[in-house]
Amino acid sequence: MTVECLVDERLPRASFVKRHRDAMLGVLTVALFFAVWQAIFLVVPLNPLFFTTPSLIAAGFVDLVESGDLLHDLAVSAVPFGLGLLAAVIVGVPLGILMGWRVRIGYALDPLMTVFYASPLVALAPLLVIFFGVGLAGKTVIVFTLAVFPFIFNAASGVRAVDRLLINVVRSLGGRERDIYLKILFPSVLPYIVAGARIAIGRALIAVLVGEFFAASEGIGYAISRFGDIFAIDRMFACIITVMVIAVVLTEGIRWAERAAFPWRASQ
Amino acid sequence: MPAYIQARNVRLTFCPPNRAAVTALDAFDMDVEEGEFLSIVGPSGCGKSTFLNVLLGLIKPDSGEVTMHGRKITGPGSERAMVFQEFGLLPWRTVQHNIELGLELKRTAAAKRRLVAERLVSLVGLGGFESHYPHELSGGMKQRVGLARALATDPDVLLMDEPFAALDAQTRDLMQVELLRIWREARKTVLFVTHQIDEAIYLSDRVLVMSKRPGRTKKIFDIKLPRPREYEMRVTPEFNDLKLEIWNTLKDEIAI
Repeated sequence: MTVECLVDERLPRASFVKRHRDAMLGVLTVALFFAVWQAIFLVVPLNPLFFTTPSLIAAGFVDLVESGDLLHDLAVSAVPFGLGLLAAVIVGVPLGILMGWRVRIGYALDPLMTVFYASPLVALAPLLVIFFGVGLAGKTVIVFTLAVFPFIFNAASGVRAVDRLLINVVRSLGGRERDIYLKILFPSVLPYIVAGARIAIGRALIAVLVGEFFAASEGIGYAISRFGDIFAIDRMFACIITVMVIAVVLTEGIRWAERAAFPWRASQ
Repeated sequence: MPAYIQARNVRLTFCPPNRAAVTALDAFDMDVEEGEFLSIVGPSGCGKSTFLNVLLGLIKPDSGEVTMHGRKITGPGSERAMVFQEFGLLPWRTVQHNIELGLELKRTAAAKRRLVAERLVSLVGLGGFESHYPHELSGGMKQRVGLARALATDPDVLLMDEPFAALDAQTRDLMQVELLRIWREARKTVLFVTHQIDEAIYLSDRVLVMSKRPGRTKKIFDIKLPRPREYEMRVTPEFNDLKLEIWNTLKDEIAI
């Protein structure tokens, strides 16, 4: 705790700006970035084939929203995103727990998993599309492939990080295996899994976009690549920024939920 | 007629992988009388914590016999409970739910659990903190929770493994006074492992000094100081004589 913090506690409640000073700094930087971007093209001539401005992006955004195209594309992409994530949880979490719990299995699978995680899976996307086809199946597999590893590694880490002392505590109070799983293992591992979800969501978004870049006829990734192809740069950026905002909202949302649900982790 | 708790000829060797075997206890004998407060002091690594774990039932000795009420100890049981040095509180549970843990594991009804927990919260002096989480508590408070949790299942024997070692000196002194107060009310048999000779003398009826590893009983001291123990007793000549005696017995066992 800094001296500054102690002083604040004794003064009357500060203004909105003072309280949210750090966040406002972030917002200010972003606003400044867009302002500079816009201002540059007041001086430099704009070639609409290759460049765009924030005001044009905003106009393009409004168009897409009004025509319903943006929402439609997002909805289409949301399906393989959600299905792929769900499959990643269902496969990744139990596998990770197994790897963490049974040390030999962990030793056996760790190198393999690390190799897959480190590979540019995004480069495999065309191959996956050849195997699983264009459309929902192909996209879902790509999302799954990218999203499953954070769950595996985080679940395994969570299990390895379980405090042995707590297991001894439960055993000393007469707890059996089942009690150890329910009362110690599960609550210990849950924060790790949620953190894994936070990472997996980012990777799943990339996966959906990449999958749609390569072979799709619908979806937000397809829209981005199509707008790029026809040099509608303003709409392309509008879609890209929308996806970025969604990514930030989801990630920060989970971060906030982690702080609320697992307050003891802050000190770890 | 066997003693209340009895250890005879206990031998225990740890065989960690890739390292030499370590004999923690060898030919270890000791008796504990019912209702007494017995401290065990010894050099680091002498096996005192290991022995507590054997009493708790978490480790089995290689040979020898440990009995309570004449019956062999083969595993954990609700008549023995431990207070741990690092507290061992479940961070995702409130103070009250931490205390209730033992009763939950015994499938006690929720209403009864709550009653017991409430009584213990006030006994250990944590009134008003029932809904707090461990990370919001100081070290001394966390150990009070640990103590309350151990008492919740109404054990006959409390095993305390250097419970105040992680606390600062002032909190430690305070907790010693508190422990005696709680012990007067709860009336359990207590086995208390510590490094601090002062602490051992202040709290106990008897102090057992262990040899260095492999641990065995070196000497047992009777602490004839009157009860209730007052803090002032710590600065009396009798106290200091005892301290010196115990130190002289102990110091040969300490390796630098």
